[in-house]
Amino acid sequence: MENTIKVERAILNITQDDLAKKIGVSRQTINSIEANRYVPSTVLALKLSEIFRKPVNDFFKLSEND
Amino acid sequence: MGKQNYIECERKGLEKLINFRLPHYFYTIGILVAGLSIVLMFVRAFAMEGDTEWLKLILQKTLLVGMLFMSVSRDKDEDEMVVKLRMQSYTYAFVVGVIYALIMPYVEYGVSNAMKPEGEAFHDIGDFQLLLFMLMVQLMCFHALKRMR
Repeated sequence: MENTIKVERAILNITQDDLAKKIGVSRQTINSIEANRYVPSTVLALKLSEIFRKPVNDFFKLSEND
Repeated sequence: MGKQNYIECERKGLEKLINFRLPHYFYTIGILVAGLSIVLMFVRAFAMEGDTEWLKLILQKTLLVGMLFMSVSRDKDEDEMVVKLRMQSYTYAFVVGVIYALIMPYVEYGVSNAMKPEGEAFHDIGDFQLLLFMLMVQLMCFHALKRMR
């Protein structure tokens, strides 16, 4: 799974900590998601979708290994 | 009760079971209980005389209870990733615990007999030794995984 959360976050001009607080997780979790070390649950993905005002598919993409 | 209500009730029950964790302050209580147990174990071993076997058994149990509190209490910043890491740490602890229980009796027997000719007889490890080892592995793995995230 690949994602462009870092880009989306930059567009909104918010820090990892700001985003973490908005969706109720720790900053380290956002960092792990951005670094593709952790694939979030559907609930978290939908919360991110709400923040970015975009469908989940726009910032999460399946990679060849998936 | 309608079908929808029944499904909702079952879902809530399952969620309660899955999300069971003690509040974060139990972590501090666990540290205190485990720490105090270890200190008293040293006091019993080096500063007390007479038959104190009963105290040893009680302290072993309180140490396990303290570590269990530390193990099942919520993290300060509990989120779904922390929950996943905790589950992973339990998996490691279980696997390593089984290997430990299988191998350690032979290691103890070998070492004991290598040191002195009339070494200990072969015996399985005790429940306290195994549970302590598994809880230690779980807590260490959990903290290591949290640092790596």
